[in-house]
Amino acid sequence: MSSDVPSTRDFRPTRRGFLQGGAAGAALTGLAARARAQDAAEPVPLDQYEPQFFTAAEYAFVLAATARLIPSEGDGPGAIETRVPVYIDLQLGGDFGQAADWYMEGPFQPDADPLLGYQSPLTPAEVYRQAIPVVEEFCQNRMGAGFADLSPEDQDSVIKALEQNKDPLSGSDSGAEDTEVVESGAGGGASGGSAEPATSQPILSAELRDFFSLLLQNTKEGFFADPMYGGNYQMQGWTYIGFTGARASFKEWVDKHDVPYPLGPVSISGERA
Amino acid sequence: MIKLLRILAALALIGVVVVLLLIFLPHHLTEPQEDLAADWTPEEGQGEYAMILGDCAGCHIGADGTPFAGGQPIDSPLGPIYASNITPDPEHGIGEFSLDDFRAVMYDGVDEEGHDLYPAMPYANYRKLSERDIRGLYHYFMEEVEPSSNEVTETSLMFPFNMRFGIRMWKWVALSDPGFEPPFGDEVENAEMLNRGAYLVEGPGHCGACHTPRNLIFAQKGFTAEDSEFLTGGVIDGWTAPDLRQEGTQPQDWDQVEMARFLATGRNAHAGVSGEMELVVQYSTQYWTENDLLATAAYLDEIGHDVARESDAEDDVPSLSEEETVTLLGDADPEMALGPRLYLDNCNACHFSDGRGAANVFPQLAGNATVTAPVPRGLVQTILEGAELPSTEAYPYKLRMPGFGWRLSDEEVAELATFVRNAWGNDAGAVTAADVAGIRSAIEDSPEGHGEAAD
Repeated sequence: MSSDVPSTRDFRPTRRGFLQGGAAGAALTGLAARARAQDAAEPVPLDQYEPQFFTAAEYAFVLAATARLIPSEGDGPGAIETRVPVYIDLQLGGDFGQAADWYMEGPFQPDADPLLGYQSPLTPAEVYRQAIPVVEEFCQNRMGAGFADLSPEDQDSVIKALEQNKDPLSGSDSGAEDTEVVESGAGGGASGGSAEPATSQPILSAELRDFFSLLLQNTKEGFFADPMYGGNYQMQGWTYIGFTGARASFKEWVDKHDVPYPLGPVSISGERA
Repeated sequence: MIKLLRILAALALIGVVVVLLLIFLPHHLTEPQEDLAADWTPEEGQGEYAMILGDCAGCHIGADGTPFAGGQPIDSPLGPIYASNITPDPEHGIGEFSLDDFRAVMYDGVDEEGHDLYPAMPYANYRKLSERDIRGLYHYFMEEVEPSSNEVTETSLMFPFNMRFGIRMWKWVALSDPGFEPPFGDEVENAEMLNRGAYLVEGPGHCGACHTPRNLIFAQKGFTAEDSEFLTGGVIDGWTAPDLRQEGTQPQDWDQVEMARFLATGRNAHAGVSGEMELVVQYSTQYWTENDLLATAAYLDEIGHDVARESDAEDDVPSLSEEETVTLLGDADPEMALGPRLYLDNCNACHFSDGRGAANVFPQLAGNATVTAPVPRGLVQTILEGAELPSTEAYPYKLRMPGFGWRLSDEEVAELATFVRNAWGNDAGAVTAADVAGIRSAIEDSPEGHGEAAD
């Protein structure tokens, strides 16, 4: 990544990206005054948002992490412009965070084959709550700074390690300190019975190993879910991919081949873009 | 000065005398329209069928569904009028009524104690019932209905409308001659069928009670097709009861079988029933015989006027032709006005860009009387709250249109309503956001308000 890619430190670039995104969103909606989205009160800026679920430290991590998963510097809006962190916060504070409609009675085998699906006794809210400090500690020990304060390149390398759930430096010569981190982060049971070679220790314990996939999944959801859930602000995610939202009315277009459908999306609550 | 006082005193005295006469002078009651033997009894089922034709259940059904136990409020501009208990219970119902008492209610709007009944009871129309139907109804209510001791809330309207002697004066002006005159002579083809249709529409069906305009004193402007304003549209419960006679209205455009089908099932190739008419289909017309439905349709067709309804003088919204509308919606241009955009976002999936909907399922909006009604309450209420076709024997499933009141602001509903009132050749006046706000609060305040529009 080139050096002019802004860091998300202090949210300054984030805010700029957010404003750019807002302007783009307004342009996409055509005559802004006509669209209901524009009538709604402006939501609080992300850096002033008061999370319902996250602590300040957790929120800072999620802001920074989602900003790397769907960056603002691509050819479409990013997680920040679409308010993905708000979506994740609301979801974790609600039924999803509580695993309200999941089977959670056990038996739990967190280290079962991943093909067998989610096997952790922890709810998604608990996974976020327990995994973020482990990741932050990993960043402190490996990179000397919290995740949000790392350069985008370093953030990406942490995310790659998280995706693999492998500490790239574990088992290397980098010293006893790292090993200690791995052990304290891994918790009981994760290393036992693992077929992984000794040179590649997991960052997160088995109970937390789905953290990255949850984060990625929730980021995508926040980008594409109906705006009533807090993300996909002004339906920018839909507008970007040409999805028309909750209209379900295209009979007239069935026979129009190779003609782009011109009309922007509508949300469940009737917002237009 | 003294002279003036004398005149005033004399006038006051005359007034008092008139009022006393109105209160205490016995009513002159209408005689039977046919001399039937005292021991004449209706054929089995005839009384019940007369009740079905008259839609007695529509108003007199008890709040808990008990047949004819009464108590349901009928909203009048003056306040709620409670339907009475018409079961044969001697204390709370009409068990003590003689045949003459019963006929006096049906023909003259006078109860067994000589009180004048509010015209929510459509005696102005029931005056045309045959003696055979009166006897049938009397037999039915006395012999076949289970007594109910339901005690009905007494109607108490505000002064001066609680002075029932006023109704007596009103009746002198508002009622037509009793009895039914078959309007079609033998020279007319199908005269028998048309006369049956005329009887059903003018008499027991009391269609005119809602579908005929009323004058300043709330009297129906005409009771037979000889009156040019008969069945040319009225207002019920804030909704327009559509014109049935002018060129271009639905009964005149539809073929007679479709008209009969509408009454029998609440839906047809063009429309779905809405508003108060749902109750009529539910309790009454779905049980009419096929011959009676076809006779009704033939009669309505026969009495159609040749002239189109005058267009609304205040209508300054340009009307789009069907082709223009289809093109506008089909192009889906992002720069289109808000009305058609809202139609695409909310309505088009079922009612389609040609506004034709689907037979027996999604009502057609082009030429739809509820859509183009002079008073837009029906259209706006349907957008806000949705609508439900009643379950009929032929179509048991209650098809439901969802409400959009939670999704659309008053301004948006106004834009959408104005668009559909002027699309596909429809040509009706604009609806304002203030209209919508008024209807929204009227729905919330009404006793049966669903509150769906309130969100």
